[in-house]
Amino acid sequence: MDINSLFGFLGENLSQFFSYTAFSHMTIGHIIMMTIGLIFLYLAIRHEFEPMLLIPIGFGILIGNIPFMPGLRIGIYEEGSVLNILYFGVVQGVYPPLIFLGIGAMTDFSALISNPKLMLIGAAAQLGIFGAYMASLGLGFMPSEAAAIGIIGGADGPTAIFLSSRLAPHLMGAVAISAYSYMALVPVLQPPVMKLLTSRRERLIRMRPPRAVSHLEKVMFPIIGLLLTCLIVPSGLPLLGMLFFGNLLKESGVTRRLAETARGPLIDIVTILIGLTVGASTQATTFLTFDSVRIFLLGAASFVVATFGGVMFVKIFNLFLKEGNKINPLIGNAGVSAVPDSARVSQVVGLQYDKTNHLLMHAMGPNVAGVIGSAVAAGILLGFLS
Amino acid sequence: MKTLNNAMTSTPQRLFSVASAAAMWSFSLLRSRLGRAGLAALAAALLWSPGAQGQRTTDLRLNELMVINSANYEDDFGERSAWIEIFNTSYGTVNIGGCYLSDDLNNLKKYPIPKGDVLTSIKPRQHVIFWADNKPTHGTFHLNFTIDDTRFLVLTSSDGHTIIDSLTYPEQAADVSYGRSEDGVGEWHFCERTTPSTNNTLVQLEAASDRFKNYDPLGIAMTITAMSVVFLALISLFLIFKYVGKTALWVIALRGRRIIPKGSPAQVTVSVEKQQPSPGAVFAAIACALRRYELEMSELESNILTINKVAKAYSPWNSKIYTLREIPRKK
Repeated sequence: MDINSLFGFLGENLSQFFSYTAFSHMTIGHIIMMTIGLIFLYLAIRHEFEPMLLIPIGFGILIGNIPFMPGLRIGIYEEGSVLNILYFGVVQGVYPPLIFLGIGAMTDFSALISNPKLMLIGAAAQLGIFGAYMASLGLGFMPSEAAAIGIIGGADGPTAIFLSSRLAPHLMGAVAISAYSYMALVPVLQPPVMKLLTSRRERLIRMRPPRAVSHLEKVMFPIIGLLLTCLIVPSGLPLLGMLFFGNLLKESGVTRRLAETARGPLIDIVTILIGLTVGASTQATTFLTFDSVRIFLLGAASFVVATFGGVMFVKIFNLFLKEGNKINPLIGNAGVSAVPDSARVSQVVGLQYDKTNHLLMHAMGPNVAGVIGSAVAAGILLGFLS
Repeated sequence: MKTLNNAMTSTPQRLFSVASAAAMWSFSLLRSRLGRAGLAALAAALLWSPGAQGQRTTDLRLNELMVINSANYEDDFGERSAWIEIFNTSYGTVNIGGCYLSDDLNNLKKYPIPKGDVLTSIKPRQHVIFWADNKPTHGTFHLNFTIDDTRFLVLTSSDGHTIIDSLTYPEQAADVSYGRSEDGVGEWHFCERTTPSTNNTLVQLEAASDRFKNYDPLGIAMTITAMSVVFLALISLFLIFKYVGKTALWVIALRGRRIIPKGSPAQVTVSVEKQQPSPGAVFAAIACALRRYELEMSELESNILTINKVAKAYSPWNSKIYTLREIPRKK
């Protein structure tokens, strides 16, 4: 055998092998995205920032940004690949309603039922969505794109994915990553705004303890809630229908197994799938654009506006309430639907000024109202712009 | 407390029984006024709504036709003949295979549309064209009759007798189609433009996003409208639950007063319940007590085993069939 031809053959094989490795397709964009994925993993593991979300998303970013030779049916955007099949649930909006089913099955609306006026805070905080919508229009986005960006202000990942998949699928990756990132950063973003807008006297307001809520009221809440909200905004049916259905499973008291499945294995499976595929959808070639940067900036602004809307609404609302019935404006931030993180922020900031003033239970009211409010807002945007 | 719980659990049951009685009374009243047929018609009308229709062949409509085609649309064979357009009004795919087309009311099954052809599936809000050329060998969409003289057309369901849609049309002019003013629903008229396999009304619909871009470039109208709707939805919930809460407390108190004799220990419990809202410390104390009770329950078992005589004579446990090994047999 000719030694030269053998080396030539080996060299050719090695060269071909190299062309199949990720190194030959690597770009600076892939490296940037992988770094972002690693930062997500660091924040989740080291600082426990929303680990249930950031670990699947962060690892998904790593998976999605390993470059490969196209045509091997392995990429998330290649039809027939495993990732593409799993991504179907995101693109077609299957996963978000299933997550809402689980959220409904694990949410206790007692705080809201015992003090129903807190629902209005959940409505006021949706100002973040529409503030970001107007800002996005000002930056030149089309209304459907602006709506997909604005929904980040609802601080609700599944809703953001659901709406962006319908109105602006090309922005879904950036919107989802932005929404989940800022949800994880709620403890960083909200306190400065809350402190800036409130006086020391307001922060010390003590609220009346919530009354006990009967079983009948808890059962009636999801039924009335569904009928009322979906009769007004039928386009919110996929999210609100599942939310209230999950809650009825929990509160009816006769479907314990179904409720446990919805709030346990089902939501866990869907969270894994949605997190991983949304992360993997951020391929540098499609994700790293100037629009993504603008979406990130608008997302941060929307959280600030949402917090502003909630806190200011409480301050104005207090003008009409009698002494003893007043609401501590530090729970205004909880009107965004980042459950229970924003309620936890209210509690932490409240304790900084009065060690015995526990606001957590009160903040859970607007917090769960925010879930309903953001789903209603998404339904409205979908109804108008689809 | 037990009496109070009974009162609370029985409230929904009572509400349910009252609602059931009201429903039964309404049903009997309607039946006496409308009769069985009227009631069925009313039920059908209540069940029907544009948004609630499923994907059924009953969603198909005769939509447009051209009887004298001398210089118009050609088929795949380059021939001109009369054509009939059928429109799927639903938002789901409907398969027309198995249905029948006819120009004779006494023979509804004149042309059975073949099953098994993928092309007979009509996508949501889409059309399909049939050629009335009496050349069924040309394919699925070529009928075995012409429509030159009957002035009648009927589309029948696969059961062969349920008429889905029918049309009696006037005398036709050459190369002028006769169609609905709006796809699937409009009145029939002579069309200004012939539109086979496309919408009868070619409205240039502006995309919703473009419309908002043109009329609301700053997003102010959207913000005001959407925030109003969000507030409306949550204010409605607020108002309902404000009064539901009050009513629930009132009902519980009322039931408690009725059931519990005056001066009994349970009466004292009810009076405590009425002092809403209770301080958080009370709930914490109750929760601690319950927790401790549960923990003690798990540690202190009764250790009593009760064996009762079973009345049944036979049980798998005393059957010898299950305890004896089968004797090997030579085959």
